[in-house]
Amino acid sequence: MDSLAAVDWTAYETQATAAIGAALADSELEDARVHWLGRKSELALALRGVRDKESGMLLNGIRGRLEEAVQHREQELRRLAYQHAAERGVDVTIPGTPVKRGRLHLLTQIRREIEDIFLGLGYEVWDGAEVSTVWENFDALNTDAGHPSRSTLDTFYLDDDTILRTQTSPDQIRAMMTRKPPIYMVSPGRVYRRDTPDATHSPTFQQVECLAVDRGITLADLRGTVLQYFRLLFGPEREVRMRTSYFPFTEPSVEFDVTCFLCDGAGCAVCKHSGWIEMGGAGWVDPDVFRNVDLDPEEWQGFAFGFGIERIAMLRHGLPDLRAFWENDIRVLEQF
Amino acid sequence: MKVPVSWLKEYVELTLPLDELARRLVFTSCEVDRVVRRGVPDVDGNLGHFVVGKVLEAGKHPNADKLQLTKVDVGGGETRSIVCGAWNFGAGATVAVVAPGGVMPGGELRIEKRKLRGEMSEGMILSERELELGTDHAGIMVLADELEAGTPLADVLPLGDEILEIETLYNRPDLTAIYGIAREVAALTGAELKPPPGVDPPRHGDEPFSLQVDELDACPRFIARTFRDVTVGDSPAWLKARLTGAGMRPISNVVDITNYVMLALGSPLHAYDADTLRGGIVVRRARPGEELVTLDGTRRELDVRDLLIADHERAIGLAGVMGGENTEVSNATTSVVLETANFEPLTVIRSGERHRLRSEASTRWEKGVDPEAAELAARYASQLLAELAGARWTGETEVRAELPQPAPIAYRPGYADEAVGLEITEAEQRERLERLGFKVAGDWTVRVPSWRVRDVRRDVDVVEEVARFRLEDVPATLPRRQAMFGRLTHEQRLRRLVADVLVGAGLYEAYTYSLQHGDPDPNALELPEPLSSQQRVLRTTLATGLLGAAQHNLDAGNADIALFEIAHVYLPPGPVPEERWRLGGIVQGDFFRAKGIVEAVFEAVHVEPTWSRVDLGPELIVAAAVQSGWVGTYSPVLSLDGEWSAFELDLAELFELVPERIEYRDVITFPPLRQDLAFVVDETAPAGELMAAAREAAGDELREVRFLSDYRGEQIAPGKKSLAIAVVFQSPERTLTEDDATRLRAAIVKTLGERFGAELRS
Ligand SMILES: [Zn+2]
Repeated sequence: MDSLAAVDWTAYETQATAAIGAALADSELEDARVHWLGRKSELALALRGVRDKESGMLLNGIRGRLEEAVQHREQELRRLAYQHAAERGVDVTIPGTPVKRGRLHLLTQIRREIEDIFLGLGYEVWDGAEVSTVWENFDALNTDAGHPSRSTLDTFYLDDDTILRTQTSPDQIRAMMTRKPPIYMVSPGRVYRRDTPDATHSPTFQQVECLAVDRGITLADLRGTVLQYFRLLFGPEREVRMRTSYFPFTEPSVEFDVTCFLCDGAGCAVCKHSGWIEMGGAGWVDPDVFRNVDLDPEEWQGFAFGFGIERIAMLRHGLPDLRAFWENDIRVLEQF
Repeated sequence: MKVPVSWLKEYVELTLPLDELARRLVFTSCEVDRVVRRGVPDVDGNLGHFVVGKVLEAGKHPNADKLQLTKVDVGGGETRSIVCGAWNFGAGATVAVVAPGGVMPGGELRIEKRKLRGEMSEGMILSERELELGTDHAGIMVLADELEAGTPLADVLPLGDEILEIETLYNRPDLTAIYGIAREVAALTGAELKPPPGVDPPRHGDEPFSLQVDELDACPRFIARTFRDVTVGDSPAWLKARLTGAGMRPISNVVDITNYVMLALGSPLHAYDADTLRGGIVVRRARPGEELVTLDGTRRELDVRDLLIADHERAIGLAGVMGGENTEVSNATTSVVLETANFEPLTVIRSGERHRLRSEASTRWEKGVDPEAAELAARYASQLLAELAGARWTGETEVRAELPQPAPIAYRPGYADEAVGLEITEAEQRERLERLGFKVAGDWTVRVPSWRVRDVRRDVDVVEEVARFRLEDVPATLPRRQAMFGRLTHEQRLRRLVADVLVGAGLYEAYTYSLQHGDPDPNALELPEPLSSQQRVLRTTLATGLLGAAQHNLDAGNADIALFEIAHVYLPPGPVPEERWRLGGIVQGDFFRAKGIVEAVFEAVHVEPTWSRVDLGPELIVAAAVQSGWVGTYSPVLSLDGEWSAFELDLAELFELVPERIEYRDVITFPPLRQDLAFVVDETAPAGELMAAAREAAGDELREVRFLSDYRGEQIAPGKKSLAIAVVFQSPERTLTEDDATRLRAAIVKTLGERFGAELRS
């Protein structure tokens, strides 16, 4: 009661408001806050001694207004500080606070790109097993007993009937055995061949298999699909060509080339001065393959292709050595 | 295969420029790697510098013991003095001369007039090898005496040729013959194909010869012809030039003829010195312990599965692969037995694999050679033996199996359009097939020529025969879809999400090999024949490969290494292992760095992780189990410098826990109440369990519980720790009061007190 009476609260509020408004730095503002509003301030002491509602309302009113004034001054000071800094000139070219970010492996980036192209064309993405039976990898795909790819010099055998798949093509067989046509699928994944590692060979690499099975599928549909694929990967001006080839599981079989995206067909080192880059094998699904999986080739037709993923990455980004993909050097990974 | 164009022209006229022909063949028939000019360049009148010369004088160079100084009549009354390093000729010899200005094969070297040891040399006397006509470099070429000085050399020697370098497809053994390529060119261009080469020479007598084939399945045909009065010697220049151009080395006329005919017709031949044969020839399997020294000088232990050519006492050849030294034709040979046979591919393939041996012959047999070609080859080789080695043909014996006659194919020309999506007229199809040697009846019954029967067996194979000539014209269309749509599966989408979360968390994605040097699982599947000891086991964990990748980065001097991989592991037992998608990671840092990453993954897929301590072997000093996998810190004894932590999750197991849909939880209607609570508890009490118990105790009104700190030391009794957590109470139904907060806090304090002996710090 005494303290309440002894103080001119109107003057107190006026002085306090002025002191708060005059603070030119955060520290001065804090000093003013402690002095006029802190635990040992006259206001705080008086509030502790309040016994009647009227005084409480008066003092709480003052406290509320002063707190607001502090907050207001705080914001003003911040704004002034920015304004001041801006007047001085902020060097906006100084790098921002670093954010640590990793990377998807280039092969995953390309794999997703391929998947997305085919998702857009209405295909599903298939996850195939890498350990295959000889039947899935060779027999069901019409590969004759003497075909060199069956040799233990070319293929990793686990036992007489089990191998690490040499191509993604056994996924054609698995897909056709578990799905009813129409089938539109791509299957990216690892394949294995007994190649000694060097700049362009690896005992493990990745292919993407594509299979379309429907009524009335033609070689022209294959060409159109592959054309879309390469245009989306390498640019809208690309053209493709089909050359005769041989694969046990397609008939007719073709090899695809795409116009060189570096020289636009004029000839350069990448395309060995031919203007064309070899991309991989394809063809019209052999009717015997359909028979092997109990589909009627009179009713269903299809096309298939299997292209390398590393090859696309190397060509498009100029990587000279396949082994870089498996070394996982951050200095390489972070480039893509 | 290297195809000398002059040779090809013997069988078919080339109506297209060579480059255009090569370009078209690439579409229709075979890869053409390149077209190269070999021999003397034929530009800017260069051939005019190469003439026949007569040596007028030859003697030792006055200033050099190893050189001859010659005077050579080069025609037109001109005489040149030429210094020469060879001594296999003298005055009177007829030689090949290049005059100054002439450019040598290869196009690099131009011959100039110059002084050699003080004597002017106006040109060069040429050797076989210098002209790329053969490999002989022992001396210069001595030409026939009847040639006149000044005759253009190009008129008497094959000075240059163009070579098509092609790669033959597996199903086209007929294109391992120049004649076969000529047939392809004829079908492509419409030019006329000449009949196959070879006319039997006169037959002198009917010498008997003992020939026995025990293995008709593996050797369905064998023709043995005998020749007498054979003169073994050098082949003529044209033959040497052809063989050299085709990439083979000339040896002697008899051997060269067998190689030449093989290249021409595709059916390999072999010549035996008849006088070295003991008795006749037997085609049989090898006997246990039998040996053979093949023509490459290697002594080979034969396998009982090897098919042999033998005489009545011993092996004389590994059938279809390589002949034996014991019956080799030599300069002393006067009688020859010529073998033209047919071998089945598998026998030759297996022998070749067993003996790690391949030859020009075996690469042809491996693809399957037309049995009818044996007869053509015998005829052509006989003609050449008579013409070039003076041989008299004295006898023939043949053994053959009944060769299967392929069934005619019922074809429908419309099938080609259906398969290709391009209309190819009936007339075009018929003409193309006939040019390729097929017989097409009026009702489109197709008979396949003998050289294509292995490949063309069905109507769809006939489609390819007509389609491959029109591949350039096939339009680009897309399938007319009737059903199906594209989508990623739930699991595929989650895999992408997990990878993206990890990238956002600062990890780099790695690709490591499925085959590793070792694996923690002793039952992991091993390759019986690995390529190297570094890649021999099918991994059951991604950790091994990631450790290798971390090491590689450390060695490269990279800092702050954090890697992850999403790939298959292969779980035993075999033979076909279970393949599972795993997520593995390795980071430079402590357990909690790795754990935080795994928690981010769990959070991303909306699964609440449950942690417990686990022993994962001595390599991991700290290890915790979580649903679908583990997190751990590697022991410092590992070769990797610094502190490393790792994790691995089985993605299928993790994704099974992912809720099907996320239900909205109200966050705004009723305000939350926040409190920080600190407990004193035994040091061993796991924070995770305390927090789980707190959640259980407070029920649904506990919206969030968060770990704040874990403190030991001052003010805390030994053996105890202070564990601080932040809790948020919130109800979806009403505003919680201070009383509610007190009630909930009391429930937590009570449960933690009972279960863990925890005391709330004031
Ligand atoms: Zn190019």
